[in-house]
Amino acid sequence: MTLEWVHPGLLLILGAWLLVFLKGPIKRIAMLVLPGAALVDCLLMSPGTYGAVTFMGQDLVLGRVDSLSLVFSYIFSLMAFVGMVYALHVKDDFQHVSALIYVGGALGVTFAGDFLSLYLFWELMAISSVLLVWLRREPSAVAAGFRYLLMHIVGGLVLLAGIVVHWSQTGSLAFEDMGVFSGGLAWTLILVAFLLNAAVPPLGAWLPDAYPEATVTGAVFMTAFTTKSAVYVLIRGFAGTELLIWLGGAMAVYGVVYAVLENDARRLLAYHIISQVGYMVCGVGVGTALAINGATAHAFAHILYKALLFMGAGAVIQMTGVRKLSEMGGLYKTMPITLGLYMIGAFAISAVPLFSGFVSKSMVISAAGEEHLTTIFLMLTLASAGTFLHTGLKLPYYMFFAKDSGLRPKEAPTNMLVAMGLAALGCVLIGVLPGLLYAHLPNPVDFIPYTLTHVMSTLGMLGFTALGFFLLLKHLDPEPKVSLDTDWFYRRPSLRLVSLVQGPLARLEYGFVGEIYERLVRGPVLGVANLFRKLDSLVVDSAIVGVGRSTQSLSQVLKTMENGQVQYYGLIMAAGILALLALAVFFS
Amino acid sequence: MNFLERQLEDKVRFARIKRLFYVVLGVIAVAEIVLPLVFEGEEHHFGFEGFPAWGSLYGLISCVAIIVVSKLIGKAWLMRRENYYDS
Repeated sequence: MTLEWVHPGLLLILGAWLLVFLKGPIKRIAMLVLPGAALVDCLLMSPGTYGAVTFMGQDLVLGRVDSLSLVFSYIFSLMAFVGMVYALHVKDDFQHVSALIYVGGALGVTFAGDFLSLYLFWELMAISSVLLVWLRREPSAVAAGFRYLLMHIVGGLVLLAGIVVHWSQTGSLAFEDMGVFSGGLAWTLILVAFLLNAAVPPLGAWLPDAYPEATVTGAVFMTAFTTKSAVYVLIRGFAGTELLIWLGGAMAVYGVVYAVLENDARRLLAYHIISQVGYMVCGVGVGTALAINGATAHAFAHILYKALLFMGAGAVIQMTGVRKLSEMGGLYKTMPITLGLYMIGAFAISAVPLFSGFVSKSMVISAAGEEHLTTIFLMLTLASAGTFLHTGLKLPYYMFFAKDSGLRPKEAPTNMLVAMGLAALGCVLIGVLPGLLYAHLPNPVDFIPYTLTHVMSTLGMLGFTALGFFLLLKHLDPEPKVSLDTDWFYRRPSLRLVSLVQGPLARLEYGFVGEIYERLVRGPVLGVANLFRKLDSLVVDSAIVGVGRSTQSLSQVLKTMENGQVQYYGLIMAAGILALLALAVFFS
Repeated sequence: MNFLERQLEDKVRFARIKRLFYVVLGVIAVAEIVLPLVFEGEEHHFGFEGFPAWGSLYGLISCVAIIVVSKLIGKAWLMRRENYYDS
């Protein structure tokens, strides 16, 4: 690795361990300096290829720096900084270390120019992020963490299989556009692994399963990196894959449908991550310059507003100890700042003019329009209405207003509010001055979000969505229920398996298999062993005993000859010599 | 008592907010019809976008469709008791 290029991911992965040795205010300063340094590092980078190393005969590139990797690295390290501000009060070193390694992994994926280093950082992300779930230290979190890890290990193995097949077919590990291999085995395996991390249904149920179980601060990190680094690698490798248009469109609507049914505050927001990533996946599938810009811009904007929403919901959960919407209500009286900052995030995700979602989401929808994808255009617009309905209306209504729950929590700690304020500032800044973001997109931008028609139809759509919400409010009351998702396929059967193992299977094993084993295996084995024992005592033992006995009697005979008198031995020797001489004379 | 509390707890003020909401909706819908006629609107990608107050109409339809369809799917199939996965 050259000295003029420092890998921001490795900086975080190695630097994170410093926190374990630091104390007090110095530790808190280090928590901010580390992601701050990574951000400055990314901002100072100029495009090029850095960190080329040869490992076991393979050329690895740790630093592919171009316009696409740069814009993702900016938002990843910026988000790491905001997330650390939010987590500043947490007295659990391992959460901070895991979070920073997780961000480091995401930056590693972003700059990886080859599949092998991509794979290593990919797995590092899975392992470090599951710790953010486990560190909540609740039985439900541990179980959800295992399910999360299960899915990501499967995804990692599929990715590795794809890489091996790709390498054996092409002899190259370089991670470039995969379009020429379209339909092949390697292409399919790698795409499936990427789609799993992007939480594309039916592979995405791990997301709403695990994120609401993570720690309050850990979940904020998780919303940003796994799905968005997957969007990045999809742009890099699979831009223009038609399948993604439809998967993305379906995803956008799927998340919205589940959000209607959801009662857990953070799980509702998690379903809206899936919905929002749907726009990005769809943009990747459309693949035009505008669509790729849209997917990138939307990923950038999304990281900020979704983190802001999770920070708001997290602040409420931390201050009330309650996570279900049906148990909240009336919190606006004591948490007005949290409410205000949350609403900025809600306006941003809902694409209200002057907020960030408006200038990024419309790029993807316009790209679909330019390609005359009528159904996709209608699906994405419908999902926009659904986003405002849940994130902008339902969640804040039941959390902060609705019937008074009697909860009177204090306002969230200052560092949490500051972090939310930073993210909110980003949401407004991008919305008001979209040029700031557009200047860093991978393709040149000639898109104008603020046109009269676009602003008016958006306002109309949002306003009348609100009307529909208030008209149907009675039917929207959150219910204390869970909704089936594709995680059913690995949760329910394993549950049945456990009860089957503990009940009938255990009795079957004891009563039937045990008996059969007794008769078929244990009996004959014991019989044969007995036979061998007898054989052993009869043949082998008596042979050895016989040898011993004969040796003993021989030595009894010999003993009589050994009386210890030298003249007697001399006599025998002389007799021997005479006998030898006689033999010699006789035979010569 | 903060600002929001004063607005929401007082019945008279709350009714005023409600009226304001409907007025704003009306203004938006009318503006969406009239403004493209007054100013030259940019080209649409699809014909249906030229329908009067398309955004408002589609927003309302989307909202109602999402709530009704999702609740139907939920009631008929997806929603289970909370401890479904625990027993």
